[in-house]
Amino acid sequence: MTKLFALTLAAFSSAACAQMPATNPMPDGSRDMYVGLGVVSAPRYEGGRDRETSALPVLQVQWSNGLFVSGMRAGLHLSRVPGLEWGPLLELQPRRDVDGAGGAVDGIGEMRIGLVALPLAATNGNRLAGMPVIERRLLGGAFLNYYLTPDWRVTGSLLYGAGNARDGMKFDIGVQRLALEVGPHHRLAFDAALGFASRRYNMAFFGVSESDSFNSGNAVFEAGGGLKDLRLGARWNWAWSPAWMLTTSAQATHLLGSARSSPLVERPTNLTVSTAIAYRF
Amino acid sequence: MPTASHFTTCCTLALSALTAGAPARAGDWVSYRDAYRAMVVFEKYGGQKNFLQSQLQVAPQERGVSFEGVQLTLAGKTNQVNLPLDPLGRTPFPLLKGAYDENVALMLSRKIGSFSVRPRVSIALQPDGVYEDVELRAACEQALGFARYGDGSLRTRQCAGVRFVFAKRAAEIGVRVHRGDGSDASLAVTTSAAFSGDSDDGYPTVRYRFAGSERVQLVTAYPPLAIVPLFE
Repeated sequence: MTKLFALTLAAFSSAACAQMPATNPMPDGSRDMYVGLGVVSAPRYEGGRDRETSALPVLQVQWSNGLFVSGMRAGLHLSRVPGLEWGPLLELQPRRDVDGAGGAVDGIGEMRIGLVALPLAATNGNRLAGMPVIERRLLGGAFLNYYLTPDWRVTGSLLYGAGNARDGMKFDIGVQRLALEVGPHHRLAFDAALGFASRRYNMAFFGVSESDSFNSGNAVFEAGGGLKDLRLGARWNWAWSPAWMLTTSAQATHLLGSARSSPLVERPTNLTVSTAIAYRF
Repeated sequence: MPTASHFTTCCTLALSALTAGAPARAGDWVSYRDAYRAMVVFEKYGGQKNFLQSQLQVAPQERGVSFEGVQLTLAGKTNQVNLPLDPLGRTPFPLLKGAYDENVALMLSRKIGSFSVRPRVSIALQPDGVYEDVELRAACEQALGFARYGDGSLRTRQCAGVRFVFAKRAAEIGVRVHRGDGSDASLAVTTSAAFSGDSDDGYPTVRYRFAGSERVQLVTAYPPLAIVPLFE
């Protein structure tokens, strides 16, 4: 049946990547597009203590042929059966670096080598300082969603290709409550998900090799695969008209397993909040 | 049959609405695109549905709201369509690509307070008012098949009967049952909501439960507003 108000405007932030638009029946040749701009407050990196606030572009497009773009994700709905959604999925994973401290790293790096003394992380408190940059990667995989009822769905996705070696894999399984109406034109959606990652994925993002340790001062850490995090999210959509809306979301992430034990993790539980105004074309 | 939770949009927003095309007054609009998304499911359903009809229902949150003279207006640049509502607030929904692409608003011609719109599937009425038991069973099975198509959790439900819903001021309310052995009886009239989830539970209704396999004919002297399948 309809997944109306399954609307989950995703944004250009990693926290919003778990959102995926539901099947959207529409006339042949039509599309449903949201474009907007807002603001997001998120930890500087996964497990980081420091927060940063930045502008948040919003984009979600669905075409009648099943193709969709939702924030950092794109995919294709192949199922023609209500109650089941599946298809290929792509995700653009953002680059991770010392985040604005690049120049300082270079400068501190020269000092560190000259003194053969304090590692970078120890000198500036940034645990990513001295760690290798993880380049932006395009991950490929598939998604599978099953509707328990028209308002509840179990979601799953498998993506491969993360990390500098392009061999990291992650798997998410979750449950979503779609389109809970809380007032005129106000709708809430909730989701909970467990994230799993391969050893290579966790090693790329949470591991510290001997050379990384030498450069950064972080303790050597051999990350393992398995359970990676637990995420709880809520989204509030307030439609002002058929065209304009305010979309606001909050997502709590709690790192688990090997990821939580990483010396790069300063705070295992973090919150990402965002709000944006979007226009529907 | 779709449940109320499938598509619900209340409209009492107290903001100056901003639309690309015609301005929509606060609180009395719904998105045509969202309504289309809800209503096209029945159109795309490939199962048997010849005994069924699908309509969009405007369901007020308050009891006793009259829909007399009320209509939904599709006010777009390329489409201007008025959709008169029946006494249950229902109207056939036109699936228009132009209106979808334009993302127009559906507006009510008269304020009725907070309301919801949702798809409603019911059993098509017979012009002569005569309904064979076997046809009602088939119609109910079609409705259940469609409901299961969209909601897998309804797999365990079974067709139990139908409910005839009459207008509150109908000239004659009642359903007579003619059995194969020649006996004739009237079914009891009660008051209830027309559809599950409706706030107005004051409609005269007659419930007919499927039982046995004998040939049964139901006759309505006055046309009902709707015949609603019952799942249990």
